[in-house]
Amino acid sequence: VTHTDLTSPDAQTFSRDYAFKKHRIQSGIASDDRFWEALEDNEFRLPRCAKCGHWIWPAVPRCGECGSWDIGWELAELAGHVFSWTRTHYLFDRVRGRAEEIPYVILLAEIPSAGGARIMGVLDGDSSINPQIGAPLVGIIRPPSESANGYPSVNWRLAP
Amino acid sequence: MPLQNRCGTGAKGSDVMTLRGATAVVGIGHTPYYQRGESPESELALCVRAIVAACEDAGIDPRDVDGFVSYGADHNMGAKLMPALGTRELRTSILNWGGGGGGIPGCLNIAAAQILAGQAECVAVFRSLSEKSSGRLRVVVSEENQGPQYQVNGIGTPIQYIAFRAQRLLEAGVPRSAMEAIALADYYHANRNPEALARNVVLDSERYQRSKIISEPLRLFDCSRESDGGAAVIVMRADRAKDTRKTPAYILAAPISAAQSFGYVEENHGRGSGQPAENFEAWNFHTVAPRLWRESGYGPQDVDVAQLYEHVTAGAVAALIYHGFCTRESAGDFIRFENLIAPSGQLPINTSGGNLAEAFLHGMNLVLETVRQIRGESCNQVPGAKLSLMTGGPSVGLASSALLGSEETL
Repeated sequence: VTHTDLTSPDAQTFSRDYAFKKHRIQSGIASDDRFWEALEDNEFRLPRCAKCGHWIWPAVPRCGECGSWDIGWELAELAGHVFSWTRTHYLFDRVRGRAEEIPYVILLAEIPSAGGARIMGVLDGDSSINPQIGAPLVGIIRPPSESANGYPSVNWRLAP
Repeated sequence: MPLQNRCGTGAKGSDVMTLRGATAVVGIGHTPYYQRGESPESELALCVRAIVAACEDAGIDPRDVDGFVSYGADHNMGAKLMPALGTRELRTSILNWGGGGGGIPGCLNIAAAQILAGQAECVAVFRSLSEKSSGRLRVVVSEENQGPQYQVNGIGTPIQYIAFRAQRLLEAGVPRSAMEAIALADYYHANRNPEALARNVVLDSERYQRSKIISEPLRLFDCSRESDGGAAVIVMRADRAKDTRKTPAYILAAPISAAQSFGYVEENHGRGSGQPAENFEAWNFHTVAPRLWRESGYGPQDVDVAQLYEHVTAGAVAALIYHGFCTRESAGDFIRFENLIAPSGQLPINTSGGNLAEAFLHGMNLVLETVRQIRGESCNQVPGAKLSLMTGGPSVGLASSALLGSEETL
């Protein structure tokens, strides 16, 4: 498999056997396939309006700021800070793949270098830590896993 | 542009027509409340029973109901209800899209607008739930509301993303005790409501604090239950309401709002647009509440009693703050158990027990209780209540709030 620039027109026809498509979760806005594809290619890409530069997140089909349909998927910095967090102690129905991880911390990270886009991710590290809102984070990309319902995922680590 | 406060029926020409006082809730009805999965009847049967009960309460013929409004993902569309109700003509049938919590009081807005526009005369607003018919609610809600960005990251229920907001409320200085006070007030009222599922569950501070943690900072008693049952209200034009059996509860305002940069944005709401980060917790209450007060002509200081949608206690805390009953700084002083209970609290809330302790009919039972307080029929009556509030949200999508009033508030 060769890596293709996902922002190029060729990417429209770029096909790879992405694992998450076999486990598709059919809800949400459903415009974020490229996000998951990029993660499976070990890249962190976010949609950005090619016309006005607005970082669009969550992914939607049109830039609501300027009306452009021309949306690129740019490599973004996988780093930010804690916007909020929760530690889940109960195993809920739709996320049973997390059974071994209970309790786990979920972070909502804000990425200033991508227009303040907020990206959720499970904490990679000591799950007994109480993260401080505003604390710096760095992300890592996990390949598709059972705990992430067959999808690739971003995990967050508290920056040293 | 500010809306004029004027009775809807009198608006003419270029004046903005408002709904204020043009319609009233004239009937309320519900089935018994059951633990989830224990309803002996189908969801549709529960829905029909609730609507017929609301019609009997109003003293009208169920065949005259010509409008149907619900919210969330209710399956009981008007067309399916017609045969059992004997509907003469269905003239309107509308689902208010949006998560259960946010859309509820806004259904009164939709019913009133349809009536005011001459498109319906007698509208039923309802919600019905039966686990055997539609599956477990928390799973259904999750499938509907939580796309892969949530589920991939271990979020399988709204409780967990409400926890994000609760965490920031705590960070902003709102004390933990505010959430506890909501739970204690709900259970206190349920203990005095013979129909409440938690009528025999005594909750005190120690039991609350000992209860298991679900998703920090939320404990078991911060979370709503899941129930089976049906609940409905009937909305009619104000002048016709006077001919019904019970005291009308006039709809003064019931705005619906999702603010710019809100909507379905997977925890990115309030981002950008120069908005304060605080709007993350305000979750559309900051745009609903100003419209509610402007359109009704009243303010938080005038309200006698409130039913706050609380699938999670923190949502009710946010509703109080962003409807102007207190600030984040004064929340600890205002949101105290003694202050929230009938008959003597400064603002009694959830006087039937609410989603936590009466039943969880996706909040529809709160609409009925909002009406009972105007009639003087509540198990936990606030003496002389004239202005009765219901807030809906926070949830996915949108929020709405309704202010109902007695005739003298018009």
